[in-house]
Amino acid sequence: MYGFEAMTFNVHSGYLEAIVRGYRSGLLTAADYNNLCQCETLDDIKMHLSATEYGPYLQNEPSPLHTTTIVEKCTLKLVDEYKHMLCQATEPLSTFLEYITYGHMIDNVVLIVTGTLHERDVQELLEKCHPLGMFDSIATLAVAQNMRELYRLVLVDTPLAPYFSECITSEDLDDMNIEIMRNTLYKAYLEDFYRFCKKLGGATAEIMSDLLSFEADRRAVNITINSIGTELTREDRKNLYSSFGLLYPYGHEELAACEDIDQVRAVMEKYPPYQSIFSKLSYGESQMLDKAFYEEEVKRLCLSFEQQFHFGVFFAYMRLKEQEIRNLMWISECVAQNQKSRVHDSVVFIF
Amino acid sequence: MSGQSQRLNVVPTVTMLGVMKARLIGATRGHALLKKKSDALTVQFRQILKKIVSTKESMGDIMKTSSFALTEAKYVAGENIKHIVLENVQNASLKVRSRQENVAGVKLPKFEYFSDGETKNDLTGLARGGQQVQQCRAAYVKAIEVLVELASLQTSFLTLDEAIKTTNRRVNALENVVKPRLENTINYIKGELDELEREDFFRLKKIQGYKKREIERQQLAAKQFAEEQFAEKVSLQKGISINLAHNFLSAAMQKDEDIIF
Repeated sequence: MYGFEAMTFNVHSGYLEAIVRGYRSGLLTAADYNNLCQCETLDDIKMHLSATEYGPYLQNEPSPLHTTTIVEKCTLKLVDEYKHMLCQATEPLSTFLEYITYGHMIDNVVLIVTGTLHERDVQELLEKCHPLGMFDSIATLAVAQNMRELYRLVLVDTPLAPYFSECITSEDLDDMNIEIMRNTLYKAYLEDFYRFCKKLGGATAEIMSDLLSFEADRRAVNITINSIGTELTREDRKNLYSSFGLLYPYGHEELAACEDIDQVRAVMEKYPPYQSIFSKLSYGESQMLDKAFYEEEVKRLCLSFEQQFHFGVFFAYMRLKEQEIRNLMWISECVAQNQKSRVHDSVVFIF
Repeated sequence: MSGQSQRLNVVPTVTMLGVMKARLIGATRGHALLKKKSDALTVQFRQILKKIVSTKESMGDIMKTSSFALTEAKYVAGENIKHIVLENVQNASLKVRSRQENVAGVKLPKFEYFSDGETKNDLTGLARGGQQVQQCRAAYVKAIEVLVELASLQTSFLTLDEAIKTTNRRVNALENVVKPRLENTINYIKGELDELEREDFFRLKKIQGYKKREIERQQLAAKQFAEEQFAEKVSLQKGISINLAHNFLSAAMQKDEDIIF
């Protein structure tokens, strides 16, 4: 099926691909970031942003401006664009677009469940959820008293149902640590997404499997590093690694056995794509690892725009937008806290 | 102040004098002790002040570092990390205790923090950002340390300030009111006693004078009488009673009606 997409793709999805490419050209450039880094106050940032695509969203905010407000409004823009695309989409693009947001949905569900366990107010919890991950029956999550009810009443109707039944039995739900639950769900989600993309075939399958493998490998490395020194056993750790990606299965075996960062580095340097990332770090340091991963991700996402007639551009655009929002948050916080010298530490330029 | 050096209204007796003197000694000793206490408290006060200044400066830096650590965590682990952590919390794991410390007789409150129970949040941000979250946690724990210390220092500062003011008030009261009053009272009593003594003395002297004159008069009278008796005796021997003669003379001096010329 590879190669004939040019004939049929535009029939259903040509309009939306054009829209997404238009959105992509509205992303902030390096020149914009340089301007923003020179700002002295949050009002300067607001002024610069009003010249970009974010203008209409920020111009009604009264000063004094808060960093959280800036982030909120930018996220709002992303949500608006997403909804616009979603309501114009047909199958299979609409399912694809929904898949993109399941990650946030998982986060929201876990947040509400923990909040309810500790008896917090439902309305407050709903406000703290990520807007991209909202679904209709989310408020009813708070009603459930324990996990079994939770699954039976609420989750069965959501798209997350198969993830719960696949990997978590009802006994596990009760006494599992929240983080482990979140990561198990996410693993199931990634595998499901991977299978879906493979089913779509063609350029979509190729590009998306590359992006998703990178995501899975990155998560595996992070889980390994973050669980060094905690009570997570090797078995548990291995259960959290997704079953695809460059590191599967041999890399996962080795990672599960790692006890400190240098061992992780030794494992990763056997795989050429990750060797370049780890060579940027000096021995024993892992702070810059996250930024290095973000940079690599952004590079791969930008590459996906080079090809036409596939769904990968949508996924790439969402991720790039999220990275941009992260950059904006970082810059505004540095400006607000008077730490201008650290601004360039973590801003990842997209173009 | 009116009546600044008044004296107490007391009966000026010797016992009272003794009582007043005892009180004056007590007041003097109390004054010396309180002055020493005030000096000790002032020394402590200055030390605490120095510590407060340095702690406040370091607190500014530490709060800045910890807010920035939070920003880093938010960058890597996503904006929602704050909510995720907050929702997962059951009890506070760092708590503050207070206890009393005795400094130069003043009870100062002191706060210290202690860990009560382990947090189960070691796995937060497992997939991304876990390290930053732990670093942020460490930074904020340090900030709490500094804050608790600063709180103890500031409460001690305020309490010491109060105590110093009270002690100084007492010292000044003793020095400027109580002691002068007591001294004045003592002087008054002494003065009164002296005056009484002088009155007594004067009375004694007067009485002595009377007695002496009385005695002299009596002596004089006795001597005259003795001389008369002697003369009478002598004249009787000569056959004439001088007394009678005297009586005749005195009678003759008086006019007799019978005698015409």
